[in-house]
Amino acid sequence: MGENKRKAGRELAKRKMGKSNKRQKQHSDFKTLDKRKKKRLGGPRLPTGLRRELDRVNHTNSDGEDDEIVSDEEKDVYEYEEGVPEEESRKNRRFDPVENYEYELPEKFEDEDVPSDDDENDFGGGKNESSMVESDDAEEEDDERHVRMLQGITGMPNEVFLGKKKKRNIIVSEAYPESEYNPSGDILDGRGHISVEDLLDPLHGKSGYSQLRKRVHQMARKPMTIHAPLPKVVQEKLERKAVYEQTKKDITKWEPLVKRNREAPTIIFEKDVNLGFSTVGAIASEFEPRTDFEKKIAGLVYDEKVIEAHNEDGSRLLELNKVTVEDYRSQRNHIAKLRSLLFHHEMKKKRIKKIKSKTYHRLAKKDRLKATSAEMEMDPEAAKEQAMKQEFKRAEERMTLKHKNKSKWAKRILKRGIPTQDDGTRAAISEQLHQHTLLTRKMKSMKDGSSSSDGSSDDSSDEEDVDENLDSSNQDTKLLERAKEKTLKVLEEDDDEPNSGVLSLPFMVRGMKKRKEAAVEEAKLALKEYETSLNQLDDLDSSKDSKIGAAAGGRRVFGAAKHVPELSSKIEVDNDYSDSDRDDDLGGENVEVGNASINELPKEGVSNLYSLLHDRDLEMHQDSAVKFDNIVEPGPKVPGEVAIFASGKWKKIKSGSEVDTNVKRSSKVVEPVSRSENLEMKTTNVVDANVKQFPKVVEPVSQIENLKEVVDDSDTDSEGQMVDGILSSGMKATYEIPSQADLIRHAFAGDDVEEEFVKDKDDILNEENPEPEKPVLLPGWGQWTNIQKKKGLPSWMLKEHENAKKKREEVLKKRKDAHLKHVIISEKLDKKAEKLHTKALPYPFTSKEVFEQSIRMPIGPEFNPATAVGALTRPEVVKRPGVIIKPIKFEEVDSFEKTEDRKRNAPKRKTNKNKHRLKPVVAKS
Amino acid sequence: MEISEELDAPEVKKFLRGKAPNLEVLQDKKLKGQLSVREEFYGISAKAAAKAAKWLMPSEGGFLEAEGLEKTWRIKQEAIAKEVDVLSSRNQYDIVLPDLGPYTVDFTSSGRYMAVAGRKGHLAIVDMQNMNLIREMQVRETVRDAVFLHNELFFAAAQKKYTYIYNRDGTELHCLREHGAVLKLQFLKNHFLLASINKFGQLHYQDVTTGEMIGNFRTGLGRTNVMEVNPFNGVVALGHSGGTVTMWKPSAVNPLVKMLCHHGAVSAMAFHPNGHLMATSGKERKIKLWDLRKFEVLQTLPGHAKTLDFSQKGLLAAGTGSYVQIFRETESQNYSRYMGHSMAKGYQIGKVSFRPYEDVLGIGHSMGWSSILIPGSGEPNFDSWVANPFETPKQRREKEVHSLLDKLPPETIMLDPSKIGTVRPSKKKEKPTKQEREANKEAAVEAAKGITMKKKTKGRSKPSKISKKKQDNILRAKRPFLEQQTHEEMSKKQKLISENKEELPVSLQRFASKKPKS
Repeated sequence: MGENKRKAGRELAKRKMGKSNKRQKQHSDFKTLDKRKKKRLGGPRLPTGLRRELDRVNHTNSDGEDDEIVSDEEKDVYEYEEGVPEEESRKNRRFDPVENYEYELPEKFEDEDVPSDDDENDFGGGKNESSMVESDDAEEEDDERHVRMLQGITGMPNEVFLGKKKKRNIIVSEAYPESEYNPSGDILDGRGHISVEDLLDPLHGKSGYSQLRKRVHQMARKPMTIHAPLPKVVQEKLERKAVYEQTKKDITKWEPLVKRNREAPTIIFEKDVNLGFSTVGAIASEFEPRTDFEKKIAGLVYDEKVIEAHNEDGSRLLELNKVTVEDYRSQRNHIAKLRSLLFHHEMKKKRIKKIKSKTYHRLAKKDRLKATSAEMEMDPEAAKEQAMKQEFKRAEERMTLKHKNKSKWAKRILKRGIPTQDDGTRAAISEQLHQHTLLTRKMKSMKDGSSSSDGSSDDSSDEEDVDENLDSSNQDTKLLERAKEKTLKVLEEDDDEPNSGVLSLPFMVRGMKKRKEAAVEEAKLALKEYETSLNQLDDLDSSKDSKIGAAAGGRRVFGAAKHVPELSSKIEVDNDYSDSDRDDDLGGENVEVGNASINELPKEGVSNLYSLLHDRDLEMHQDSAVKFDNIVEPGPKVPGEVAIFASGKWKKIKSGSEVDTNVKRSSKVVEPVSRSENLEMKTTNVVDANVKQFPKVVEPVSQIENLKEVVDDSDTDSEGQMVDGILSSGMKATYEIPSQADLIRHAFAGDDVEEEFVKDKDDILNEENPEPEKPVLLPGWGQWTNIQKKKGLPSWMLKEHENAKKKREEVLKKRKDAHLKHVIISEKLDKKAEKLHTKALPYPFTSKEVFEQSIRMPIGPEFNPATAVGALTRPEVVKRPGVIIKPIKFEEVDSFEKTEDRKRNAPKRKTNKNKHRLKPVVAKS
Repeated sequence: MEISEELDAPEVKKFLRGKAPNLEVLQDKKLKGQLSVREEFYGISAKAAAKAAKWLMPSEGGFLEAEGLEKTWRIKQEAIAKEVDVLSSRNQYDIVLPDLGPYTVDFTSSGRYMAVAGRKGHLAIVDMQNMNLIREMQVRETVRDAVFLHNELFFAAAQKKYTYIYNRDGTELHCLREHGAVLKLQFLKNHFLLASINKFGQLHYQDVTTGEMIGNFRTGLGRTNVMEVNPFNGVVALGHSGGTVTMWKPSAVNPLVKMLCHHGAVSAMAFHPNGHLMATSGKERKIKLWDLRKFEVLQTLPGHAKTLDFSQKGLLAAGTGSYVQIFRETESQNYSRYMGHSMAKGYQIGKVSFRPYEDVLGIGHSMGWSSILIPGSGEPNFDSWVANPFETPKQRREKEVHSLLDKLPPETIMLDPSKIGTVRPSKKKEKPTKQEREANKEAAVEAAKGITMKKKTKGRSKPSKISKKKQDNILRAKRPFLEQQTHEEMSKKQKLISENKEELPVSLQRFASKKPKS
């Protein structure tokens, strides 16, 4: 320890050496004596002889020495010193440097032990001491001498110096003053004693002294051993433990508070927190000038004079805003001018926008021409008009000669001579001339067409009055005739052949001939066609004429035919409205087909139609010969409630009744109308045999009405009789007893329904859990001998089958409809609805029942009164934005409040208490 | 009347919607605490609701009470008319329109407006409050049915070929071609679905907000015009000619329930507003009341009905011929005769429909439509958030938006909608069959073969090494399958052993493991 300190001192000195050279110079003058002494003591460990020599030399030198020399010498000595291996090792820092740093030289060190500030001396001293401690008795002589010398000088007793020296000898580097904590060397040596009394004496008269003394006495009387202090780690651990216990006790006071907060459904953080100003105005109103500048400004702004002046002259200042009439006028005029300018500009723009380019016009014209030409082709009327226009234009052109170089421009150009003009002008001139020719040309083709059409129209105009339809047919004939003429002409023209040129070559001639022949063939065919069609048309016309003629005359023969157009139109009307009830469009189509056929086949005559109808009816007749008894008695047949059943069970009967009507009709009605109706009936599955119809059937119109009815009935299903009830005005259809057949049908309707349903259910069950297959014996498998064969199927097979069956039954038993014979409940999982269920139990829940019951109550505002919704939907923490949540503050909470509440039985619980308990906790923040 | 504070009181219990969960089974204290707090909130809410119901729904529905030998069904409409106030007596009338065929009627959910459709193309909307004809039109086509959509602004009419949607002014808005020739229409107002059954027995669901076709199912049970919506869960029920009733939802191709209700064809059907009771009538002259929770017959009433309807208070109207009969639930939970009304002779009733929030029954028949008073049929107190007969246009608009926001997706239609939000029913996940397992294994092996090797240096990409790696990959792919197989086998063995052990007497058990297995 001591060594360490010394070493540290030396090192410090060494480090300081270079720096403190100059300081040394300053100090050396008045501290030479000490230095000398130190020099003698310091230095390397030398043999005493040598040391003495050195001392002497030093003495002589130091008398009048220069500091430089001394230092040099010292350096020399130092170098020498380094040679010592022990010192060397120390210098190499073999000791822990940290320890060295820990050591600090106290301020008193220098004062006490080393009088000079010089490190060199200090170093030397230290050195000396160390050497002394080690074992140099020779030194003691010197010391004694020194003491003696000191005694001589100071006149103080020897002991003082000796003691000092002694002390210095033992622990010279001790840095602390002598005290009870730092006993002096004597005591350590065992030479001097410090008793407890010594230590106590200084405390005499202070508080607690008597106690201390008493304790000391006690201890003295009854001596006991004191254990060695525990290791630091353990000590600290114990300390921590104690602290923990303490804090634990301390922290329990928070428990009820925290518990309350935890259990509260909602924690509200202090509602009335001042969040500061909400508006700029509020902030501004609170503004107080603080800095000099602000104060100055405020002083100016709130200067009384200024305010006063403002108050007084405010109105006068406003007067400046007055506008003179002239100013106003000028301004208004300016605005008007601008507006008009804008308007003109707009108009201009509009006009410019309307202007189209040359190409646009050209294209437009082309389009227009195309359109007119197309129109001309399509519409003779338009063509006529066009021709008129053309004629007018031609007349105008011929009168004015506008395009025949009459214009000023054209004249000028002609005057200057055409060849001198550029291409563009020439083209323009020629274009103009072309225009003229075009305009003045007599429109021969048009004229011809119009004249011919005139002729025809003359013809047709008469006919138009009679029948417009004829006009079209006439046109057709005309077209055909023209085509015929043309083909004939072509045929005639064919004869002339080219006599010269390439075409006269023999092979060409041959080819031409061939082609011509083909063409002639074609033409002939076409001719034939034309002729046949012409003939047909003629026939048609004649027949029509005859019909029209006949209409006036004989009613009997052509009566039906006469009614045809009327009828068809009527039926069409029906289609619009009343037919709408038909089951499907088939009926409508049929009717139309019927009409069409009537139109198309007028020649075939009614008889043909009749026979056709009859045939069909006869067929049906044969089909349902059994049902004839029904037909025979046409008495008070019930139109009653006969529902249409979609199921096939009813089909037979239905067809029967259908035939009923058909047959009845066929016997009476000979007109095509009935046929159409018949068709109708066929398509619409009418069961209702309406007897009331019969007497009226003669009149076609009434029949149509009936038809309408029937058709209506067709869709009203079982409501059929209802409509009858309304529409047949004569006899109100009241409820009539259903026929026997109907009753029977109703009675036995559901006989097989049950079976069907059971079968259905079985099918569905089998689809989900198919029945196990019956074990089949495969020859050669699982059996080898006859004996086994006699035994039958192997037992494992049977067992397997049995098991499968059992399994199936179990599964079926688990179904919801297992015990419900007449119900099939689908067990299929709806994949789309899966998202409406939770996949697994949500976290804190462990029981499915509890979870499902806990979500049974809706919490929305639609399902709860407004007073309760808030509590149900309030979030766990309510906090206004901007509120700073401060740490929890201690407050007294009655921890037993809740438990008490729980213990109370139900009737005692008042809403008041409940409310109190369920109140959200308001946390003071 | 004092509402007791107890949670057990019937008024309060109604609003608690069932029992509270048993919290004792819970281990988690925190959850327990949370749930108990919740339950208390529920209790408070239920009490408040009971109080609100007491103060805000003061009127109670009345009904006819007979004295002595008097029978309620003998009381005629004329007798009622004498007793009731003027406003109510205005609800007794016959509108005679003989020309345009049998009429059907449909009310809006608030009962304020009525849509009338005559078979011969006559469509009309009537404001029932002031008997004001809002719009009348002639579509010149058969009209088989007409229903209101979510409010009186729109209604759908099933016409000859297609179904059309008109607005209140009679403007045609849409032509629904996909539905075909529809026989009967129903509107599901919570789901905004228009359900229709057409001539070919096809059931269509169309979302009227988006126009999307939600479902198109072939019933395969023939033509029918008996269709009703269960107001409780939105399930559409169809009555068929075979006497069966099928129940459908838009997300399933097969019917949810198929039940044989009658031996004859089902002619009419109706659902109680609470959804647990269904009335059907068959051609074999029986009216049956079904409990839909158990799918069992509760009661069989004699008689035939062409049309049935339940009122809000649970009265059942059955119309046949020109006679309407009303049944009412007695104390013994049975429906019995309550009232009757016969129309003029020859009137054929096509449709009966109770007017919501009024004691009025609308009857559509062959000669127009009629309205009679049935005391105790309608809910006396209306909730303006649900259906407001005195709705202003502004309220209507707001409600339209609200109801659109609250529109339920079609998947929510199920037999028991209270199951929504609960834990998903466990799928009966069967073990993969041997073949499937084989196929899986094959696929895994193929995938392992397909892995391309990285090119590596220093001889690690030698063909021999690569082939070895490939082999390893394949083995690794196979491994889980093999492991599973062995595991299964092991478990099977264990099971067998344990079974055997159980069977064997104690003295022989020690031989059990040594015994060879068959």
